Amino acid sequence: MLSERVVTDVLLAALSTGGDFAEIFMEDTYNTHIRMLDGAVDEAVSGRDFGVGIRIFQGLKSVYAYTNDVSRDGLVKTAREAAAALSGVPEGRTVVLARMAVEKLNHVRLDPRQVGHKDKVAVMKRAHLAAAGYHEQISQVAINYLDVDQNVFIANSEGLLVEDRRVRTRLSINAVASKGNEKQSAFRGPGRHMGFELFEKIDVEEIARDAARSAVTMVNADYAPGGKYPVIIDNAFGGVIFHEACGHSLEATSVAKGVSEFSGKLGQRIASELVTAVDDGTIPNAWGSQNIDDEGTKTRRNVLIEKGILKGYMIDRLNGRRMGMEPTGSARRQSYKFAPTSRMTNTFICAGESTREEIIANTEYALYAKQMGGGSVNPATGEFNFAVAEGYMVRNGKIAEPVRGATLIGRGSEILQKIDMVADNLATGQGMCGSVSGSIPADVGQPAIRVAEITVGGRKGAN
Amino acid sequence: MEFREFKERIFAAGQAAGLEEMEVYATRSKRSTVRVFEGDVDDYQVSLEQGVGLKAKFQGRVGYAYVEALDEDAVEYLVAGAKANAQINESQDVVEFFPGGAEYPQVVCYNESLSRVAPEERVAFCLELEKAALAADGRVFKVPHAITGYEEGEVYIANTKGLEQSFSANGAYSYVGALAQQNGQVKSGGKFLVERDWSKFNAAELAREAVEEAVSLLGASSVPSGNYRILLRRDVARDLLATFVPVFSAESVQKGLSLLQGKLGQVIASPLVTLVDDPLMEGGAASAPFDGEGVPSRRKQVIEAGRLTTYLHNLKTARKDGVESTGNASRPSFKAPVGIAPTNFFIEPGQAAYEELIHTLGDGLIIIDVQGTHSGANPVSGDFSLGAYGYLVQGGQIVGPVEQITIAGNFFQLLTSVEAIGSDLEFGSPGVRGNVGCPSLIISSLAVAGV
Repeated sequence: MLSERVVTDVLLAALSTGGDFAEIFMEDTYNTHIRMLDGAVDEAVSGRDFGVGIRIFQGLKSVYAYTNDVSRDGLVKTAREAAAALSGVPEGRTVVLARMAVEKLNHVRLDPRQVGHKDKVAVMKRAHLAAAGYHEQISQVAINYLDVDQNVFIANSEGLLVEDRRVRTRLSINAVASKGNEKQSAFRGPGRHMGFELFEKIDVEEIARDAARSAVTMVNADYAPGGKYPVIIDNAFGGVIFHEACGHSLEATSVAKGVSEFSGKLGQRIASELVTAVDDGTIPNAWGSQNIDDEGTKTRRNVLIEKGILKGYMIDRLNGRRMGMEPTGSARRQSYKFAPTSRMTNTFICAGESTREEIIANTEYALYAKQMGGGSVNPATGEFNFAVAEGYMVRNGKIAEPVRGATLIGRGSEILQKIDMVADNLATGQGMCGSVSGSIPADVGQPAIRVAEITVGGRKGAN
Repeated sequence: MEFREFKERIFAAGQAAGLEEMEVYATRSKRSTVRVFEGDVDDYQVSLEQGVGLKAKFQGRVGYAYVEALDEDAVEYLVAGAKANAQINESQDVVEFFPGGAEYPQVVCYNESLSRVAPEERVAFCLELEKAALAADGRVFKVPHAITGYEEGEVYIANTKGLEQSFSANGAYSYVGALAQQNGQVKSGGKFLVERDWSKFNAAELAREAVEEAVSLLGASSVPSGNYRILLRRDVARDLLATFVPVFSAESVQKGLSLLQGKLGQVIASPLVTLVDDPLMEGGAASAPFDGEGVPSRRKQVIEAGRLTTYLHNLKTARKDGVESTGNASRPSFKAPVGIAPTNFFIEPGQAAYEELIHTLGDGLIIIDVQGTHSGANPVSGDFSLGAYGYLVQGGQIVGPVEQITIAGNFFQLLTSVEAIGSDLEFGSPGVRGNVGCPSLIISSLAVAGV
């Protein structure tokens, strides 16, 4: 996207005040978003994001600047403005660029920009009809279609020059069930790092009906009992518990500054020995996968926890300097408007040996969280909270009545130790993860797990 | 390229492509932020960005497109994109473009002296912020966040019905977060400030508030589950109000996604509650002379002494309800279609100071932070169940910090169970849901889950 001559000029301008590393991240991204409410498209937007981010390091200091002015003069000016925040003299560095070939892990067959709007709307209608027709209590269905075609160009003063393309496609289904004055909604959002062929891989109708089923179940459910008791969290999006409660605290973003509860604990037992957890950015076509990260480093499979022992963190360049450790292909950013930092890609707890049925049969009393909602965590204290989107009580080894309105709170480190059964049904779910470098696509995942006790927030007294 | 010139080219190309009406919404902004860690600048960011969004009508339907690079291709991309997006739109809603010629209020959104504060001054402020937080209490061991930023921007709107308006705004903000430790327990406290007046930035004061909060939580434990009388501190009351902002939107009401449907003129809150949307407020972070459709701004009461007086409208929802737009059309950015959001949106303060409210509470809990408002709250049903912490109050006195609890309830019930309102109105950080403010509130009862 930029000539080597311009790249060199900009990098040298960035290093003109004593910086020891400079990087250019250029992005040209096409977006499509179509919204359908109750079967009729009522909003469609397409857009092109285009700009450049320039980053400079001086030791552990970082300066970041971005602009939409991508002319040579505009970029050199921006680089000089950024460099002005540092004080020093140029170290006389030279920049010799060498183009790096990208190994393509994520192939795209049906380029969404070549697929007509009509085909996209047709998929949305199928989802709408399946959800709306599921039950008379379904009062509203909202369908959103998204595709993103991100083209990036990354170069740095160590000579890296690399380009990559990331195409992602997602459908989201929000079904609302009503009963009298009460409403409950359920969300499903299948997405992949691929093109329109997504819709050959997933069963749109089945996913839409499942959203409707969940909403109808919840609108007819009573409130969950509050208190501290066992919780069984099912697979796929259930992995959001690990993502929020542990994953964020294993990002160098919080580890490097010593503000994570897992700082300085490599090699130590931090979880039940049933727990092995991985962040893997290399799974072909998975939602959070990338060929290279947003610093141009190849993505990889990073083992975070092995049989309960902390094995590794997710590390970006800058925090790697702080920690004296190599980057792990984990640097990510929403767009050129954000400096990258260490983030998750596809993060999951690996399969265990029990079956879900065994876990339930072996449990006298528990909350069974079949579907999780979103959540958040304070990385400093490890305190997390998240919502149970579809819950049931387990009594005497059997799934009993559905319950709604439950929230799980606790500390990541405590929950990890209290996992006492892990099933074999590993699956993943798609989410958008928000943090310091913006909102990025990330897969969460796990098999069904049982946690000996969690504080469950609910509106009914404990029983 | 100037927006005015770019707009002319879009309108010419759009007319040639058969677009019936067009509206350009463009913004340009300049930002600078500094973050300090362990006595040194650890992150410094500057940016210059712009973007243009086109809203166009084709065969009576609306479509949107946006660009960030204002190059030759951009005009063609915008016109073709908006037209293609209009062609798949099946909405029966009539979309109006607001004509030129209206009278606009004078609103001060830009402080010249703030724009002249040198970046070095903000760096010095940030260094001071970290130092003050570390010095404030021996139990503070780290200040992971000491951030100060400045932002200024221009909003430009023009359409083919003769509307052409613009305004500039600026603002500065600062955040400090401190970690305190005692007997192996770590607690965090933070304080955020958004202001247009640099003299209001007092590092020692901000640091003291963040540290006091972190330290006050050391030694926290849970409490037995049950129903408690609750004092929602101003920032928590504001977080809850901000979470349920969509229920006041006429769009939510018309789509059947708000339980306030059919409640106009009825009592929906305690008679103590008056809820105001004021885009003309002096110093307000969301103050503006016009909204996202170019409609002139005006102040309105949404709840007047407990009674629901209006929903928040844009042109489309107002037409459907046969009323006038309240001037609440929002464009979160040039990329986003027209929606509805409040501006400076707040519950009017009462007479009692925060300390008096603690006394009035008697026995109960003060909640000073909630987590998970984006996941544990359902704007449709009004139900919420959120992680929380705060203090236990007995006989009108704080007796100790509380953690590992959740509070659960329903927003609509909460509105009716407000027993007292503090004098301590405070705004938070403005976002896509407007600039929301609230004083501290005493709520007669919420369900608490603890041990």
